[in-house]
Amino acid sequence: MAAEKEIWQKIGEGFVQEYYNQFDNTNRTTLGDLYSADACLTWEGSSFPGKAAIAGKLASLPFKSIKHIITEQDFQPTVDSCIFIMVFGQLKVFMLKHHACSWVCTNDVFRLGIHNIPA
Amino acid sequence: MVDQPLWEQIGSSFVQHYYQLFDSDRSQLGTIYSLPFPKIVHSITVQDHQPTPDCNILSMVVGQLKVDDDPVMGFHQSFLLKNINSAWVCTNDMFRLAIHNFG
Repeated sequence: MAAEKEIWQKIGEGFVQEYYNQFDNTNRTTLGDLYSADACLTWEGSSFPGKAAIAGKLASLPFKSIKHIITEQDFQPTVDSCIFIMVFGQLKVFMLKHHACSWVCTNDVFRLGIHNIPA
Repeated sequence: MVDQPLWEQIGSSFVQHYYQLFDSDRSQLGTIYSLPFPKIVHSITVQDHQPTPDCNILSMVVGQLKVDDDPVMGFHQSFLLKNINSAWVCTNDMFRLAIHNFG
């Protein structure tokens, strides 16, 4: 018996799948198109405001290849009719907003799960 | 000292207040936090805050927690804050313990 998924879960899962497919399997130059024009990305504490800055940061990450393994992903609707997503594996948090007949990412926060280890 | 953006000030105040309350008297956080342990301590490693297009605040916390006498565990929690009637309230909350599947 499979429960019918909520619409925000379906949209969220679709977005997350496409996001990591582009991230892991392309040269990441079109990843910026998933973000709205004035989206913000916080990457390990540094801010990248706007689609161009985000696209530049993601395309310039200094590794040849990457694979994300998703441990868990959570989805919630917000009062402003957005979709709030948290992906845990490598930790990623997204906010999606409906814009011009498609869902775009307006907020993105990334942190590695590294804690301070006392010397 | 440089003035922090408004969303950083509000987000970090909320986070500080939230975990202070959680660790001291979580009955004040609302009925959803009827969790089965007497003692918990949260330690925040990092916190990030961003404004959203609808003038809300997205906050993400990465930290460690210790329940009763159990070993320390990592956690991740994300909040969405909204200004309703001149007060900042939490409208969305996602929590995950930092546990991965071992192959």
